[in-house]
Amino acid sequence: MPLTVRGRTAGRRGAARRPIAAATGALLLLIAACGSDPAPSGADNDAAGQPGAIVSLSPTATEMLFAIGAGDQVVAVDDRSDYPEQAPVTDLSGYTPNVEAVLGYDPDLVVTNADTGDLVAGLRRAGVETLILPAARTLDDTYAQLEQLGAATGHLAEAAALVAAVRTEIDTIVADLPDRDAPLRYYHELDNTYYTVTDDTYLGEIYAMLGLRSIATGGDGYPQLSAEFVLDQNPDVIFLADGQCCGVTPEAVAARAGWGELAAVREGRVFTLDEDIASRWGPRVVDLVREVARLVNPVPAVRPTS
Amino acid sequence: MTAVVCERVSAERGGVEVLHDIDLVVAAGAWVSLVGPNGSGKTTLLHAVAGLISARGGIRVAGVEPGRASRRAVARAVALMPQRPVVPEGVTVRELVRLGRTPHIPRFGSETLRDREIVDGVLARLELEDFAARPATELSGGELQRVVLARALAQQPRVLLLDEPTSALDIGHQQQVLELVDAMRREGELTVIAAMHDLTSAAQYGDRLVLLDRGRIAADGPQAEVLTVRRIAEVYGARVEVLDRRDGRAVLPLRGGRGSAADSSGAISVEHDGAGNPGADGTESR
Amino acid sequence: MIASPARRALVVACAVLALVVAVFVSILVGPAGLTPRGVLLDMADQLPYVRVESGLTPRQQAILWKIRMPRIVLGALVGAMLALAGAAYQGVFRNPLADPYLLGVSSGAGLGATLAIVFGAAAGFAGVPVAAFVGGLLAVGATYTLGRTVGGVRSEVVVILAGVAVAAFANAAQTFFMQLHDDTLRQVYSWMLGRLATDGWTEVLVVLPYVVATAAVIVAHRRTLDVMAVGDVEAASLGIDPARVRLLLVCVATLGTAAVVAAGGLIGFVGIVVPHAVRLLVGHGHRLLLPLSLIAGAAFLVVADVAARTLMAPAELPIGVVTAAVGAPFFLLVLRRSRGVS
Repeated sequence: MPLTVRGRTAGRRGAARRPIAAATGALLLLIAACGSDPAPSGADNDAAGQPGAIVSLSPTATEMLFAIGAGDQVVAVDDRSDYPEQAPVTDLSGYTPNVEAVLGYDPDLVVTNADTGDLVAGLRRAGVETLILPAARTLDDTYAQLEQLGAATGHLAEAAALVAAVRTEIDTIVADLPDRDAPLRYYHELDNTYYTVTDDTYLGEIYAMLGLRSIATGGDGYPQLSAEFVLDQNPDVIFLADGQCCGVTPEAVAARAGWGELAAVREGRVFTLDEDIASRWGPRVVDLVREVARLVNPVPAVRPTS
Repeated sequence: MTAVVCERVSAERGGVEVLHDIDLVVAAGAWVSLVGPNGSGKTTLLHAVAGLISARGGIRVAGVEPGRASRRAVARAVALMPQRPVVPEGVTVRELVRLGRTPHIPRFGSETLRDREIVDGVLARLELEDFAARPATELSGGELQRVVLARALAQQPRVLLLDEPTSALDIGHQQQVLELVDAMRREGELTVIAAMHDLTSAAQYGDRLVLLDRGRIAADGPQAEVLTVRRIAEVYGARVEVLDRRDGRAVLPLRGGRGSAADSSGAISVEHDGAGNPGADGTESR
Repeated sequence: MIASPARRALVVACAVLALVVAVFVSILVGPAGLTPRGVLLDMADQLPYVRVESGLTPRQQAILWKIRMPRIVLGALVGAMLALAGAAYQGVFRNPLADPYLLGVSSGAGLGATLAIVFGAAAGFAGVPVAAFVGGLLAVGATYTLGRTVGGVRSEVVVILAGVAVAAFANAAQTFFMQLHDDTLRQVYSWMLGRLATDGWTEVLVVLPYVVATAAVIVAHRRTLDVMAVGDVEAASLGIDPARVRLLLVCVATLGTAAVVAAGGLIGFVGIVVPHAVRLLVGHGHRLLLPLSLIAGAAFLVVADVAARTLMAPAELPIGVVTAAVGAPFFLLVLRRSRGVS
């Protein structure tokens, strides 16, 4: 019987503790919430000015950070950030970010492209700011994001200079393009199940600048086509962005049943693009523009009827 | 001419020995009633004779050895009427009976005119022609037993094994089915081994009874030998009164400690005394 | 329940006609506008000794003969195989809810395909069908072994339960690997939901021998399957060996199923819906059920593929989604009916 009495007493004391603990917890949360800035608009942060420990969970953001000269402020980047080479790659995942793992690098700024898995909330509770730079819809978004990062990292001047340089170079490349009566029609292959892009996407805009139009329309910008559709549309140029992920080469495309009849295949206008450059929206978009321009320049203005 | 020979047959079910050293010889054209309490091994013995389970010892049925011969050969020699037949969906009576021809039709072949004629003949013999197109699921218990009997007969076996053929039937249908089987036996040189739990029916149709007790043969012979009060009390643990009647012995359950010397029908009651206790050695008394 | 040979022949003829119509409709559907006249003329042109100008351009001909026709034929083969395998499984297990995926072949194939996609991406996609095939067979082997070692009196039920266990395990493993490499999620799901993707006639030629051999064996056993319906004990007394028949037909049906799953992914409901529909029309006798399931299964999948290709053109719905959309309500209907009867 003494045991039971003791147990009951302990229980009652414990029971009294619980509301107090809850109240304290709530109070702490409140203080933490008031104390930190809402992440997405976060440009300025603590009193020091420049964040010295940046973690990037977005390969594009990594490229941007290094391009504007904030590279030595970066302490960790995600496992897919493979450019530039000197970026400190870790096994952090950008797809399924783990808050604790990110905090393990003691960052004062985290840059990512989406708020997955309550990343932002988790980081905020620990007092760390997050800057979300989502996938760009237009080239202007790229420029805006570069400037945002410049402001956030204290490299505003370099960012502005980079933006200007990229602008100028792209304008030059575009200006050097030959005139065409009709825009060239292209098929940009994202993977080997015929997912592609329409003109209404980032890539679509870049292609459009270079005088190209996608054979695909509609959908959310990334529709899935069928082999028959591509054959029927008979694009002038085919860009392959699935060489690395899915092992698709121009030879493999030519070997597909029926694709040998395509004008693009017959005239050798199936080109492989660097998958990374084609899927990111960072400063290397210049390289993409340059590469595509180089590839389509030789294509004659007047297409033979097929 | 022997139809069934069992020599020192033993069999197991689920690792437990159910039959021990069974010796049995059945002449062609005979009706042997297999009796015994639940779990005494009647069904197991029938399944062993039909080649459905593997058994130790020698078994020959109509010249075929179930352990060695192909299943088709065995099925042509012996047919089994199960206690509770499975009634598949969407099958007519005729189709069910037609399955009986399976051992005669080549494995990947089709049935011939002769097969169809045999099926028609069997349906006619058992007065099932009106039912032929009816779904089997719509049959009553009695009708279903006739259909299953028809199927067994369509197999044209030499030996027919019945596993408690009347347990699900009312008394009228019981008689009908058993009479039919006996008629077929007398006509067609069929040998019948019927496992029955109704001792009176067993005696009415079987001129020879085999009593199984816990996997062994406790008695094998004519009714007068097998159906005695003492033996039934030993094997079944039941108190009964045995009456000798024109068409066989009748075994009637006795209740309590009372017994009657004779019943009003004039049947001679054997083996009892005034108190209904078993007589000394089964001699008649009045 | 259809007695006369004349009526039987009529029913089969109707089914074949339905298949031919389905195939023809499917040939004419697609983004490339091929006219019926052009198609017919071109098909005539393919016959030996016939030379006709069909008016189709080489590109259109390529579309017709290298893209549409192989796909239609593959769809017919896959549908026929799945329906026949379903009927066979339902016959040997005496269970109207049995389908070709009962013993884990779908989960095994899914696991194999996932492993191939996740670990073999650099090697291209040739490895996926092979891995799916092997995975499917291994899973069924495991099911059967598991079922046999546990054994017991009601062996059919034990095997089915073993199949459930193996499928659960394979699914868990598959999910684990998918999560590990989440960038392959879309490819894996695309494969799993079923897709009649053809690269010319390759898939058809690979799948054809399996389907033909399997179909031949199963249809040859049509009478045996009728006998299996009365249960193991009675079937044995009628002269067949139920356990051996079950093993043989399961092996054969699994082989065929694994082959078509490797080619087309996991297309569900065909194996349940088609045999049941055929039973509702012509009864349970396997003599009609098996050939009709073959033909109806082929027609069903060809039509489903037309829907898959057109509902969201130019993109394609995974064909497994279409068969599920038709199959699930039908399945519930059958379930209700069978519950009502028993």
